[in-house]
Amino acid sequence: MIEVENLTKHFGTHLAVDHVSFTAQPGEIVGLLGPNGAGKTTTMRMLTGFMPPSDGTARVAGFDVLADSLAVRQSVGYLPEHVPVYPDMTVYGYISFWARLRGVRNVRQHVDAALERVQLTDRRKMLVRHLSKGLTQRLGLAQALVHDPPVIILDEPTIGIDPQQVIEVRDTIRQLGENHTVLFSTHILSEAEQVCDRVVIIQQGRVVAQGAPATLRQQLQSGAHLYVEVRGANEAKIREILNPLRDIQAIEPQGNGFSLRVKPGKDLRAAVAERVMAAGVSLLELRPVAMTLEDIFLDIIKRN
Amino acid sequence: MGGILTVFRREVGQYFASPVAYLIAFALLLITGLLFNTDLTYSMRVKPAEAALIPGFLSFALVFFAPLLTMRLLAEEKREGTLELLLTAPVPDSSIVFGKFLGAWFYYSLLLVLTFIYQFILLAIAQPDIGHAISAYLGIWLYGGASLAVGMLFSGLTENQIVAAFLGMTALMFLWLGDLAGQIVANLDLAYVLRQLSLQGHFSTSFAVGLLRAEDAAYFVGIIAVMLFITIRVVESHRWR
Repeated sequence: MIEVENLTKHFGTHLAVDHVSFTAQPGEIVGLLGPNGAGKTTTMRMLTGFMPPSDGTARVAGFDVLADSLAVRQSVGYLPEHVPVYPDMTVYGYISFWARLRGVRNVRQHVDAALERVQLTDRRKMLVRHLSKGLTQRLGLAQALVHDPPVIILDEPTIGIDPQQVIEVRDTIRQLGENHTVLFSTHILSEAEQVCDRVVIIQQGRVVAQGAPATLRQQLQSGAHLYVEVRGANEAKIREILNPLRDIQAIEPQGNGFSLRVKPGKDLRAAVAERVMAAGVSLLELRPVAMTLEDIFLDIIKRN
Repeated sequence: MGGILTVFRREVGQYFASPVAYLIAFALLLITGLLFNTDLTYSMRVKPAEAALIPGFLSFALVFFAPLLTMRLLAEEKREGTLELLLTAPVPDSSIVFGKFLGAWFYYSLLLVLTFIYQFILLAIAQPDIGHAISAYLGIWLYGGASLAVGMLFSGLTENQIVAAFLGMTALMFLWLGDLAGQIVANLDLAYVLRQLSLQGHFSTSFAVGLLRAEDAAYFVGIIAVMLFITIRVVESHRWR
């Protein structure tokens, strides 16, 4: 469905995307993962027919993005990072505008189906300007799937909305994956792990890793992290208490507590709790920390 | 074709949904109403009614009105980010520009039709020169199209509507002043060229006096074509940055 080969994009002398290659099979949900400014948006913009690549090829739904740009654009539903809206239109008017522009025949039926899918049917007469941020995000999703495209491209669809809505959006993406090929970008590793069949990790315009999320996480993550917060012990004391635990690789102050880097595959929660309590120190908090991609990258950079 | 129609319909709908467009219509009808009233008073005693009264006024007023009508067209799409979505829709870039331009021209035409009321009043109480009026209205319709095309180009060059309107007014002012410059320049050849380049030069001594000439129509159509062509290129350039 999506075949990208050595895709490259220069902006002047700046190399934004550097020989990126990956594929997405029909019905696959692929996550494009990377820190901000890694080239995710630029890659997506080339796949949606918004901007031409400087070099390399990309085929979407069998059409080349340069030679068959219109056919590519017909086959793609796209949601940019900041949902583009016409504030003065109604929800229904907005979606039907995009449906018409993309040549949908049965406009009313398609618009109703799209609004139903994102649960905006009861707000169809509202002005877009009165929608909350989460609802606007759903409106953007409806816009992207109203013409029933085989490929759906979503740029950071879960950014800036509340956790409940994040869950809803993830559910919607998973449902979309049943009938569509979905490519979406995120910088949250756990999100990619939950939603994607496959993950492509981009850093500074280059693909640094790709594969199934669980595998990748293990490859990338050098160790698990624990957050521990205590009362009655300073940093030196904590180091002294936890020093005998050989599986702890590093102890760093973080916020009111400490972040412990633990060897991969080890669960040290019980051991840490026991030692802290045995030393007569009150244990206020102890929890594993899910790492974001940025953390992992920072980790790798630090270690190198 | 479908793309042009869809964009056109949205633009026209947008004019009726925005207070600015109603304000412009209000101001236009207020000023032309006062003008007509004054002219009518004079016509009672001193002179026949001026057939090109409203078009003549518009030929100057458009310098300010046209950019106000077009400032939104592309600048807003850029600011809201909808341009990116428009450029990923399966329609050629030209459809977007044509649709928007036709939407603006259509709304302007509606405003023009509203001023027909003065002609009807004249018809009811006197024998106005209908042919002269038709010529003047046809001229100002084309003149308006050209002004709107200039205004839209500047809307495409910036994200800021105020800047778009200001640049549009400045450009139209120069195109309008060309006529005056042509009248004061001593070199006759230069004066001729300046006048031929100006909007007024193709209106005030032809359409406005009841003279239909193909060259004047060609001038306005040409301005529209050139402006739309550049605007399409400007829109297209967003793909390259």
